[in-house]
Amino acid sequence: MPEEKTIHIDPVTRLEGHGALTIKLGPGNKVKDVQFNIGSTRFFEQFLVGRPMEEVPRIAPRICGICPEPHHLASVKAVEAAWDVKPPPAAIKLRRLLIEAKQLSSHAIHFYALAAPDFVFGPFADPSVRNVAGVLKHLPDVAVQAIKLMEFGQELCRDIAAKAIHPATAIPGGMLNSLKEEERDKWLKAVPAMLENVQKTVDLAKKVVNLYFDVITKVAVTPTYYVGLSNKGVLDIYDGTIHVMDPSGKMVADFEPKDYTKYWGEYVSDHSYATHIYYKLAGYPAGIWRANTLARCNIADRMATPLADAALKEMRALIGRPSHHTFGYHYARIVEMVQAAESIKKLLEDPDIVSTDVKLSDVQPKAGEGVGVVEAPRGTCLHNYECDDQGIVTKANIIVATNHNIGGIEKSLTDAAKMIFEQDGLKKLKLPEPLVKT
Amino acid sequence: MLAKSVPVAMAQGSSCWGCFQSLVDIHLKLADVLPLLDIKYWQAVVDYKLKDLEGYPDKSIAVGFYEGMARTEEDIHLLKVMRQKCQTLIAFGSCYCFGGIPGMANFSDIEQCYDVKFRHNKTVNGGSVPSVNVPAITDVVKPNTDYAAFDVYLPGCPPTSKLILTAVTALLEGKPLELPPYTVCHYCKREKKETPISEILRPYVGKADVQRCLLEQGYICMGPSTWGLCEGQCVNKGATCRGCFGPSPPIMKDHGAATISMLGTYAPIDPDKLIAQVKDPLGTFYRFDYPTSHLGRIRIKHEEAERRRK
Repeated sequence: MPEEKTIHIDPVTRLEGHGALTIKLGPGNKVKDVQFNIGSTRFFEQFLVGRPMEEVPRIAPRICGICPEPHHLASVKAVEAAWDVKPPPAAIKLRRLLIEAKQLSSHAIHFYALAAPDFVFGPFADPSVRNVAGVLKHLPDVAVQAIKLMEFGQELCRDIAAKAIHPATAIPGGMLNSLKEEERDKWLKAVPAMLENVQKTVDLAKKVVNLYFDVITKVAVTPTYYVGLSNKGVLDIYDGTIHVMDPSGKMVADFEPKDYTKYWGEYVSDHSYATHIYYKLAGYPAGIWRANTLARCNIADRMATPLADAALKEMRALIGRPSHHTFGYHYARIVEMVQAAESIKKLLEDPDIVSTDVKLSDVQPKAGEGVGVVEAPRGTCLHNYECDDQGIVTKANIIVATNHNIGGIEKSLTDAAKMIFEQDGLKKLKLPEPLVKT
Repeated sequence: MLAKSVPVAMAQGSSCWGCFQSLVDIHLKLADVLPLLDIKYWQAVVDYKLKDLEGYPDKSIAVGFYEGMARTEEDIHLLKVMRQKCQTLIAFGSCYCFGGIPGMANFSDIEQCYDVKFRHNKTVNGGSVPSVNVPAITDVVKPNTDYAAFDVYLPGCPPTSKLILTAVTALLEGKPLELPPYTVCHYCKREKKETPISEILRPYVGKADVQRCLLEQGYICMGPSTWGLCEGQCVNKGATCRGCFGPSPPIMKDHGAATISMLGTYAPIDPDKLIAQVKDPLGTFYRFDYPTSHLGRIRIKHEEAERRRK
């Protein structure tokens, strides 16, 4: 009898949310199937129906506690598109500051708490040590710089949006709250120390990239399509058109968010409650794409700010464009963190950021449909609602960032599983001595 | 400072991780708190697996936090395991305490939910409900309290970082947790003039006077009926309260009913007009606590009777 076995990893750890992994191996450890099982869903698209549309930006953020700001903003943009409302320019600047602050704290928590423990302690360290509490114990300076970056981002969100987790102030027509001058001054004063911590993060990331270069270039190098917003070639997380890049690096689509249903397919797999979003024109699974940091960095011609642009060039010199390196996502995360930091500084220095002209007073609902898109830390976040003439939601379709990546995660996990089980590839990898030995 | 670290476990039902993010947002206090904790389970942070948690001796974990409501069989199992392993179980956040925002799924039948999510919407067409290697979804969101008793009630969407730090400190020191009973209004800096509301305004209408009570200006604000453990963070930044901390003590039972009765006293408007002006009473007054409300209980019983009938 041919021997078969199933490896079940439950839960997948250092992941926010519900995930398990099922790997089926056939005779000779041949990888037969790899499933990423997302084990829950909450039906937002159903219970948003019947709600007044201006309330949705306060409900939809509950989709994600790490990235509620992108949901808040994609949601309010969708309402404004449906009602044909254009908020004042100062409100847009405030929203941009909000999403950049979130980008900074999310990228910091992801790099330091979710990813870094593997690099600091090595992938084979004991679970009791290989975590962020271990980083705090063994490398307190590194942990403190991480905490300070997260604090900067989260507390800045709070000043703008009342709450960092589940923001409350974006409203069709603008913002319910303006940034006070004394708040702006406080943040401007804190900027130099924040930039210094970002620089230290860049230095640490470069060191890790150097140490783990063999892993980055050999494990889970998985060609896929990429999807993301780009604003005339510049990486922009608040606004732009949606771009699709094919695995060879050719840009195959560039369209307005409202036209997304022509290009985006949603595949319902039998083994995950999270659907898989893919490039409809290529079909499934050929059109599997990935979003998130590396996708945006592949798609953008350049970054919006000088230091980030220099960092992007440096990254490309090492891993190319497009980069299909799954571990390159961490590197791209750091490039984007630099852009978030520089953008925050620039926005805080703009006199308009304390303008009180942040809300229209003559907004009217009307029957219609709207699409709102921003880039969440983990990928393109799209909200699409229809409403009646009273502005009550009649239909909702929401594509969250993670769903762009599920197909790609399975593909890259398959590559990694083949390397490990079929080719005994772990033994051939050059792994450095852990930064901290335990 | 305690000499020995305290065994703790953090678990997540169907939720957004916002309560845990709020715990992380105690910022530099983490440097004081984390070394005191011996983390036995925390899927997003530490690499222990479910079988590790299941293998610990009963009541061997001093404090457990469970975030989220139980939407799947796996969530219910995890909740029961946490109850079994933890001496003190904290109902962490409004999803645990009342069902939370995702409790609004109970407004619809589960088949309608499946239709929109898997079968027919703008980008899905003809899919089926996934069934391989995923836990079954419950037909209706029941309050977590129906599955497992808890010891400490820490509501909020999410509970504030300050509240979490207060609770964690008290628990680690073995002291009782005493929370102020005030409503949101107690913390609101806006002035109340006891002006009756003449018309209900939707929140995008006009520009609110920043000095005055939002409710008295006509914007529905649930501050008077909501527990103020948030310390008025939304109302002091221009946004009306939507009740995310649930009912204030001693009104522990029905937040929505309390809010509706409160609104009646603030707005002496002809009932027919009031009903026409309040666009979505269910989704406004029961946004965070439908499953634990009286109405929500009736709904759950109805759903269960339907299932039995089929």
